[in-house]
Amino acid sequence: MSVIAVYNIKGGVGKTATAVNLSYLSAAGGNKTLLCDMDSQGSAGFYFRVRSSRKFNTRKLLKGGKHVDRSIRGTDFLGLDLLPADFSYRNLDIALDDMKKSRQRISRVLKPLQQEYDHIFLDCPPNITLLSENIFYAADYILVPLIPTTLSHLALQQLYRFLDEIQVDRSKVFVFFSMVEKRKKMHWEMMRQLIKKKRFLPAIIPYLADVEKMGLYRQPVNVSSPHSMAAAAYNSLWKEVRNGLKLQ
Amino acid sequence: MSILWVLPETLETEPLVADLKDSFFVESEPVARSTKTWFDTFDWRLYKNNFYLYADEEAWHLFRGKPDIEAASHPLDDKIRRVFAWDFSTGRFRLLIEPVIEMRSLMPLVTLESSTICLRILNKDDKTVAFVFLAEHVLREIRGVYSSVKLQCVRGYERQFRKMTRFFSQYGITEQTSVQYPFEEGIKAGGRKPLDYSSRFMIRLKPEMSARQAMVLVYRELLEAMLKNESGVIEDIDSEFLHDFRVAIRRTRSGLGQIKNVLPAEITENAKKDFAWLGSITGPTRDLDVYLFYEQNYRARLPERLQEGLDTFFADLRLKRKDKQEKLVAQLKSQQYREIIAGWQGYLNGDAGKESTINADRPIIEPVREIIYRTYRKIMKDGTAITPSSPDDNLHRLRIQCKKLRYILEFFTSLFPENDMKRVIKHLKRLQNNLGDFNDLSVQQEMLRNYLADIKPSSRKNQELSVSLGGLLTNLYHEQHRMRDAFASRFSEFSASKNAILYTTLFYKKVRIKPLQGSMGPK
Repeated sequence: MSVIAVYNIKGGVGKTATAVNLSYLSAAGGNKTLLCDMDSQGSAGFYFRVRSSRKFNTRKLLKGGKHVDRSIRGTDFLGLDLLPADFSYRNLDIALDDMKKSRQRISRVLKPLQQEYDHIFLDCPPNITLLSENIFYAADYILVPLIPTTLSHLALQQLYRFLDEIQVDRSKVFVFFSMVEKRKKMHWEMMRQLIKKKRFLPAIIPYLADVEKMGLYRQPVNVSSPHSMAAAAYNSLWKEVRNGLKLQ
Repeated sequence: MSILWVLPETLETEPLVADLKDSFFVESEPVARSTKTWFDTFDWRLYKNNFYLYADEEAWHLFRGKPDIEAASHPLDDKIRRVFAWDFSTGRFRLLIEPVIEMRSLMPLVTLESSTICLRILNKDDKTVAFVFLAEHVLREIRGVYSSVKLQCVRGYERQFRKMTRFFSQYGITEQTSVQYPFEEGIKAGGRKPLDYSSRFMIRLKPEMSARQAMVLVYRELLEAMLKNESGVIEDIDSEFLHDFRVAIRRTRSGLGQIKNVLPAEITENAKKDFAWLGSITGPTRDLDVYLFYEQNYRARLPERLQEGLDTFFADLRLKRKDKQEKLVAQLKSQQYREIIAGWQGYLNGDAGKESTINADRPIIEPVREIIYRTYRKIMKDGTAITPSSPDDNLHRLRIQCKKLRYILEFFTSLFPENDMKRVIKHLKRLQNNLGDFNDLSVQQEMLRNYLADIKPSSRKNQELSVSLGGLLTNLYHEQHRMRDAFASRFSEFSASKNAILYTTLFYKKVRIKPLQGSMGPK
């Protein structure tokens, strides 16, 4: 019933890892969950060993309904399904631009799926485009992983300005610190300044080898190393997101 | 999508698994043990409403209907024993069961112990494309053993699913089953069957049976209802065991009082006395049960500031109930109780039928018609005489008349056309609801007044209590008046000519309706 977009303008901040691990935890908690990989690189699909159907592409995605239904794949975990991305998604913006009501297309595609799933996660590509606008419009909750650096903070402010511009409520945004390095003084300094600000979740995802190794095991961290620090970090992040969803 | 099959008894699982591993990429997970316990209320409320409920190690699972669709679940918390709907946290699960089971307790009925291995069928990417669950089960109640295999489809990999289905059919695995299969088997094996108890009185009689035969059947049925509920009353499982127990007592008393001259006078007199005693020992606990049900209702009647006093009041009622229940249990274990039950049972199963009385050998339908018609006429006469200024007592008397009529109608429903009886009872029920509410409200007010009279107004707590109860009394008084105002229209519905014709045609003896003569009823 709720749509959670994992988004950042910048790449390499841990979006896909977040989307994969949180959607797994959501399903493990008994919620029927769908993860939509919106990024043409298809990393989420890679983590779950799911190849996209040969017949699926941008056009089919935007048509929605049965075209999307047929392309959804079950993962190895009960209650967790995946809509894998197609390489043609790299041109999603162009396709959207040609359509009427181009800002609401994704929202429309997701509507029937919201009947079937308790939570829908969107793993978003790193940019601000018409697709991002669509996603902001469709999401109930925009989860932003942020590496605590000055430039990341600037990018966040850019995001807020953009949301104001397209008249999407800023209160959808929730930020958490991602890929935090214990040894870097600068990270701690940034976090100290930012944590008091609105819309920052207290959970922190440290920079950990176990998260990196997801590419090796091709499984969520909570499956490959359930007792690791990384698993604990995602657990507490999910708890906070879940509570935030309940409040909305 | 998934299919669950029962494995043929002769099939060995080891070669099956070996062949499965030869034919597909298989990854097996360690054996998982689980226990499922199915629950229902004593009167099968879940089953009757097409629900199945079981608890495993993790949660309560509620299923609706045969196709094994899980409707809701509720996490299991070991620390809390959940037996009533209100023990569950608010949510979909509770929303579904509460209106069905109401105040009844969930009782464990069947327990299934299973050990399951999960085999994942993989593709070349090591991606799971189907799940196979091979399980061995033991039905604890009968130590019955069987095996099952469940094939679970992974969305988007339907072709693999079909391939697996074909694989299993080669082994003669074709008999599909349901998740609820063990429940139904376990119930059967335990000597019960679904819907074997209902608080409704259902007995098939024939019009030509002698009154004696018929009444012995009726009394036996009622005694059996008492015995079925007895242990639930003693163990205090939920309030409805005592309720049903008392209804059977009241029905018996009503039969003894109304269907006269069927059993010998001495037997009838003794039984009347005995059942009056049974009624009196069970009354106090039931009264308190009823008052305790009012808790939510009373809170809703009062502004929030006055509600605190009710905490004290209901805590006190609960204490009183505990005391009365203990006394009741002592009575039910007494010599006197056992003698009454054994005596009545012995009489109904043995001696009944030897002595002759005025009505004993008449066909049952004759006295029944007379009694029903007489009672109906009396209700009509007394009801019509009630005006807005008549004393409340007249309504109470009318209520008792209606109750008597209701019992008789229910005893002998099977002697008359079903649809007609449904209509007759429906009309009577509407009138009874009005009279019943009116009476309940006056009983409640009296209870509150008596309670208030015993309060010493010294402490602050007692002052709060008195203020709350005072507020309640006002509120109940007004509602009672609304009931009283509604009586006239309810009674006029009951006395409508349509209903009168129904009573006359069904129960007035020897009248045959011949339109030409135009005679509809007694002069």
